[in-house]
Amino acid sequence: MDKKQSGLKKLLAVRGMGQVITVGIGFVILYIAFGIMNPVFFSGKNVANLLRQIAPIVLIGVGQSYVLITGNIDLSIGSVVGMSCMISATLMTKGMNPWAAVCVTIICCLVVGIINGLLVAECKLPPFIATLGTMTIARGIAQIVNNNYNTDSIGDGAKAFRDFFYYGKMGPLYNTVIIALILWLVFNFVLSKTRTGRHIYAIGSNIEAAKLSGVNVVSTTVKVYLVSAFCACVVGLITCATSGMGTMDAGNSYEMYAVAASVIGGVSTLGGQGILLGTVIGAAIWGVLQNGLQFAGAPVAIRNIVIGVIVVVSVLLDVIVRSGKFSKKKG
Amino acid sequence: MQDEYIVELSHIMKSFPGVKALDDVSFHLKSGEVMALLGENGAGKSTLMKILSGVYTRDEGTIRIFGEEIHEMNPQKAQELGVAIIHQELNMCQHLTVAENMFLGREKVKGMVLSQREMNEEARAMLGRLNINMDPTTIVGDMSVSKQQMVEIAKALSTNARVLIMDEPTSALTSKEIDDLFVIIRKLKSEGCGIVYISHRLEELKHIVDRVTIMRDGHYITEMEFDENRMDTIIAHMVGREIKEKFPRISCPKGKKIFEVRNLNAGRMVRDVSLELYEGEIVGIAGLMGAGRTETTRAIFGVDPKESGQILLDGQEVTIRCAADAIKAGIVLAPEDRKKDGLCTKLSIRDNIALPNLDILCNALGVVNRKKEAIMTNQAVESLKIKLPNAEVDAGSLSGGNQQKVVVGKWLARNSRVVIFDEPTRGIDVAAKVEIYNLMNQLKKEGIGVLFVSSEMPEVMGISDRIIVMCDGRVTGEIMAEDATQDQILKFATQFESKIGAAD
Repeated sequence: MDKKQSGLKKLLAVRGMGQVITVGIGFVILYIAFGIMNPVFFSGKNVANLLRQIAPIVLIGVGQSYVLITGNIDLSIGSVVGMSCMISATLMTKGMNPWAAVCVTIICCLVVGIINGLLVAECKLPPFIATLGTMTIARGIAQIVNNNYNTDSIGDGAKAFRDFFYYGKMGPLYNTVIIALILWLVFNFVLSKTRTGRHIYAIGSNIEAAKLSGVNVVSTTVKVYLVSAFCACVVGLITCATSGMGTMDAGNSYEMYAVAASVIGGVSTLGGQGILLGTVIGAAIWGVLQNGLQFAGAPVAIRNIVIGVIVVVSVLLDVIVRSGKFSKKKG
Repeated sequence: MQDEYIVELSHIMKSFPGVKALDDVSFHLKSGEVMALLGENGAGKSTLMKILSGVYTRDEGTIRIFGEEIHEMNPQKAQELGVAIIHQELNMCQHLTVAENMFLGREKVKGMVLSQREMNEEARAMLGRLNINMDPTTIVGDMSVSKQQMVEIAKALSTNARVLIMDEPTSALTSKEIDDLFVIIRKLKSEGCGIVYISHRLEELKHIVDRVTIMRDGHYITEMEFDENRMDTIIAHMVGREIKEKFPRISCPKGKKIFEVRNLNAGRMVRDVSLELYEGEIVGIAGLMGAGRTETTRAIFGVDPKESGQILLDGQEVTIRCAADAIKAGIVLAPEDRKKDGLCTKLSIRDNIALPNLDILCNALGVVNRKKEAIMTNQAVESLKIKLPNAEVDAGSLSGGNQQKVVVGKWLARNSRVVIFDEPTRGIDVAAKVEIYNLMNQLKKEGIGVLFVSSEMPEVMGISDRIIVMCDGRVTGEIMAEDATQDQILKFATQFESKIGAAD
């Protein structure tokens, strides 16, 4: 009993855990509610599908959370997803080995990340503007690589590629979920346990203090945008594997889904705050709402409205809780 | 060894676009001494120290630290050399803990992983050594400003600094904490550290300072042994002329009562406060930090909610629920933190002056009358003698004293009846202080009620006609300025709060 209590205390001592627990409880309630409405929701098959649906949102959410914690934003995520999908598919239809195509794609996407980071940290452009620009450019590249057409099927030669990113399974879990899980573990470790992670929080909290303490703001910011671009790239590859072709508008408005997942999970858009566990729960709420409302027969329009309301309410709740805390402290 | 210089800066030059910030400045520091670096605002003290700590790079000149000539200087290099700086503005990451802030940029790692526990332990040991009572795992943003300042000091010391630069370290501290800081400084001195101490509060110097270096307008003026009895010489060097009266005073006949606060309550820091204000007088509110003075002014002005109490202007009760009500009634506030609460630093001076007066300046459709606006700005600039290139420059680019004048200027444009100043001279130099005092005197002469909060005792005693002393959210005493002594004010200021010792 004693041990359990100290464990809980330790858990609560992790910064940002409070909100994550609140959101987690919200998630459980939501999940059970949908399950009661339609028992199929609990079935193993649906859970496996649901996880596979959530995985890409987790990935882009992780990337966006990294950027948001430094107090910046990455609007180019959705376009990088599209770029990744189109470049990989085009290369494969042209007969390139799928794994070579994957490598080329990753390099292209990381270049976008580097440019984003340099524009923001070195050239001091407002991140909103800088990534708005790269967002448009990346979408343009997605359109131009196959002369403004979606690609044909990437063919049978790419079966291993498609299995690796989407159709394959390890035990009960789809590969997509495993990829997301592994990347999440890695990036969570980096953010919470390493020096780079600490610097990411410091920059978001007070960039001036970080600079004066000898933190290399430029390189850290570039790293953050690299993580974001890399995550978006992987999601693009997953999208390509899913449909077996390249679509030019793949990943449309994913950057906003990524912000939503982060913010629902307690990441502050002002920087300095949030943990990746929250992002996972934020993405899960997102996925459950999509999936659950679909099961309940709600049209797409209603789904959008509900999700929009959830984003606003979750942040509003946080603001109310915090202001309550502050007024108590003052009084 | 004692007399060897540990820091030698010679012939340092530094220009910023359009300004020569430092022109052939030299500076020497010995080990085991406290060197005060003095000068007016804009004299280049902070710039010089930022060069020493690697924040800025010099254009010309040599830097020697412990006899070694340093060519390339940056914050990390400075840290390695044992030079640490405590900046004037708080530079803390609000979301991180005390220990995380102390080790920022030089985290301890095992392999790739941060050694959180080790850093916490070391931070705890450092805080203990400095007699600072706080838990290193506290989030910095949850602590008071003065506590944060102590963290900043602990952070600088935890780098094992041998040269410590303190830029206005006491401006946010309570008198008890200032005492603690002085104890720390003396201890460091005895351990052979060299300390550079920048402060506008000249009365602090006698407690710790050994020598002074004086700068003016980016030039080195002189270096001398500190002698309490030669303060006038020091001030003359700083301002380049003799200041005849540090506290100019004019006498006016006391007129009728214009303003009264009756039994005001607002939270724990404002309890049953009553005060009166007459025409032709300046009323000072004295007290220690945290006595509820700022809270009182905020409650009067309607920024913070009131629980009970009446406010009367010219015998009529006025209802003030928000700042706009107070402004309309003619009660205005020049807040403590100019940059944060007093000015929109990124807007022009003209915009700042116009902002609270848009009701006068706009026509029925809400369109700003640019002509009226220009006239209003010019009047303010002329009557307050604000020094500025033109009214279009950012308010943030002005010096502290001129910023304060803009804050006042925007209120005077609208026939205010009562002006409340909260720490109007904080962080501004001697000459600019006198100008602010003259400004208050001018208001007094015009029959405007002046209420004036200050932590600096000589100032309160020198400028006010009547002094109200607060302690722990209550008014504990009222003294006429001519009868007042520091001891008397301190006695009132510490009533019910015997555990807090007074600095001086």
